[in-house]
Amino acid sequence: MLLASATTLPLLLAAAGCRSSEAFAGPDPLAGPPRPSPDVITLEAVIAAESNLIHLYKTAISGDSRATAPLLTQHELHLAQLQARLTGVRGVRGGGEPPGARRVPGGRPPGPAQLRAAERVSAADLVRQLAGVEPALAQLFASIAACHATHVAALGG
Amino acid sequence: MAAATGAGPGGSGALPALQAALAAEDAAIFGYGVAGAHLAGVSQAAAEQDWTGHNRARDALAAMISRLGAVPAAAQAFYQLPFAVYDAASARALAAYLEDGVTRAYLGVVAVSDPGLREFGALAMQGSAGRAAYWRGSTQAFPGLPASALLPAGPASRS
Repeated sequence: MLLASATTLPLLLAAAGCRSSEAFAGPDPLAGPPRPSPDVITLEAVIAAESNLIHLYKTAISGDSRATAPLLTQHELHLAQLQARLTGVRGVRGGGEPPGARRVPGGRPPGPAQLRAAERVSAADLVRQLAGVEPALAQLFASIAACHATHVAALGG
Repeated sequence: MAAATGAGPGGSGALPALQAALAAEDAAIFGYGVAGAHLAGVSQAAAEQDWTGHNRARDALAAMISRLGAVPAAAQAFYQLPFAVYDAASARALAAYLEDGVTRAYLGVVAVSDPGLREFGALAMQGSAGRAAYWRGSTQAFPGLPASALLPAGPASRS
């Protein structure tokens, strides 16, 4: 009995005079993982941005945490919904500080003004992503953007 | 959940979505008339400002629908209120209810294929969600989205 390992299989296929893509009806196992769809790429960027916002809230010093705690909770709900749409498509990154997390110049924790600015930027970024995604995802992005916009006012903007 | 289907001018589902937004604006105009009568001072001024904003939005939507070659749906003569409005608290609750309806309607506009209309709907949602938060006194995590559109989600990865 001949056993073909991942290493020997291409050689066997070459010896048989066929390309790997002709030997299988399904996706070519030698072509690497499939490319993520545009929706997945956008979703990953939005997840990273939402993670950044959460990190910003957690490091913020606020005179009134009763005001910011519900907003942080809503961001965590956003992140959970966004991640739920990636489950089964790709692994979701675990905890820790998100790569490229926004840092406030001088190392000082962000205050309400920085949080408001971040919320504004995030809402605008989400709206810019609407054109390239399927309708249900566009609706989720628009709803999250609307929430972020309400946070600006809740933070005194 | 993706509202609005069917191709047509302005992209897939544009006309039904815009007509639905127009209907929501008309309902809000009527409702603010009721709410405003039970409000005073700053709240009444805010209700008047919002009433004016909804009138402008109604006119803008009617013009957009006309440009697509359709006739804007007429407002109803009377709207059934969702609950009795008899004081300032119930008037504020009605205003929040009306804004929630407007937000849901513009969510349908976000589902159409035309990128410009998607952006228009999303920005309108930000306005109505902000007004709803003002009248309710709190923000919501997913303005306009029905619960059926949310996926069962585990705890989010903590950052």
